[in-house]
Amino acid sequence: MNMQIVRFSLAAALLTAAPILEMASANDFRERGKAAKLSASAVSITPPRDWNKLDIRPGKFAETWTLDGEQLNDVTFYTGVEPGAPLVKERNKKRKPLPKFGAETLLVEVPELLEGTYRAYKEIGEFRLTGSKPGSYLGVKGVEFTYDYTDGDQIRRQGEAHAAIIGGKLYMATYDAPKIHFFQRNIADYRALISTAKIM
Amino acid sequence: MKTLMGLGAAALLAMACAPSAAGQERTAVKQGFDLRSQSGKRVLVFKPKVSVGSQSTGAMFEPNAEWTEQAKRNIEAALTEHQASLGNTVVEAPDASGEKALLVEEYVNLFDAVSQAVVNYQFFVGNRLPTKKRDNKTGVFEWSLGEGVRDLPGADTADYALFIYNKDAYGSTGRKLLQIAALLGPGIAVKSGEHKGAAGLVDLRTGDLLWLNADFAMGGDVREADGAQKRVRQLLEGFPGSVADQQTASAQ
Repeated sequence: MNMQIVRFSLAAALLTAAPILEMASANDFRERGKAAKLSASAVSITPPRDWNKLDIRPGKFAETWTLDGEQLNDVTFYTGVEPGAPLVKERNKKRKPLPKFGAETLLVEVPELLEGTYRAYKEIGEFRLTGSKPGSYLGVKGVEFTYDYTDGDQIRRQGEAHAAIIGGKLYMATYDAPKIHFFQRNIADYRALISTAKIM
Repeated sequence: MKTLMGLGAAALLAMACAPSAAGQERTAVKQGFDLRSQSGKRVLVFKPKVSVGSQSTGAMFEPNAEWTEQAKRNIEAALTEHQASLGNTVVEAPDASGEKALLVEEYVNLFDAVSQAVVNYQFFVGNRLPTKKRDNKTGVFEWSLGEGVRDLPGADTADYALFIYNKDAYGSTGRKLLQIAALLGPGIAVKSGEHKGAAGLVDLRTGDLLWLNADFAMGGDVREADGAQKRVRQLLEGFPGSVADQQTASAQ
């Protein structure tokens, strides 16, 4: 076995072993009525009902909360995304680069940023923005938009997002769930949750 | 070559001795649900979702149409043979077309997602979601596909629906060699191949998951008729109201 194969093998082995290590760690409890800070930020959320925060984070600026698992109801908070950074961690910067939030990015362009990220990150072809309008997030003017897409598991999902740009950084919350049953079941929980978000 | 085979045998032996994932459960029943054998209930069986392929060195799934087709035929034949032992009236879901066929496909995919969530976040105790952990203290198993199941073709003629999901990825030669190299080098256990399956009984009025049997390390090579028989037996092990289940219950 030559060195190149061994090197590749070890890298691949470590990659494959990583989920096992992550699976073994505990997910965090976000208890109703108790303020919780989002990772490495000054944003605080006081959940109106019990939620779970997954230990596996999609990226430096992102964290995922769920009620039943990210496949069924996924609230992802993107907090303080800096200019030049992607929304989630790039798996392959050269071959599969992700769109970046930029210093010039306007609020109206944020839905497109999420669409581009989903298309590249989730490797999906079908994504449709279904609505976009001025809204608010974290107590400031922002954008609110809706979308649907079919994920790699062939499940049609619906999404709703709220975003704002504060101090040149992007703050956004998204809610994604299967169109059947789950989106409607928890959309009110998502809206109630993000209505408590504030910058300390 | 002999040396490689020797190393392979040593690696496989070491992996066989490695402890399995602690606290992994496989089956759950919704509290209060009881199904007696021959109770006159009707169970609607949807065609299983089956996908078979290989696992590349980097763990990517590469579907194989020929294997999938063969496995589908084998599993469906084994399922038909196994139906008599399920203990209630088993009815095949009517053939659907157009929108109805899409709806069935969507629910089969949704069942797959729900069963994966149950395995990841309820059965795997070490990874259980805190909200589920809290609930589980009182023995709660609450998962649902929603009341929309009432619109599935044939739903108005039955009490329950049986969904089956099955995915097999057979390790490529590269993957198997990697498994050995990783264990002998940094001592990391790398899985070669993936054999996941789930069978679930759903209430056709509420969409609630009444029983789930799911395992991400199933036996039986579904590409062979005998292997598919074994797989179906595993998938339906402990099916509520099955003949074997009732015999176990009366023996206790």
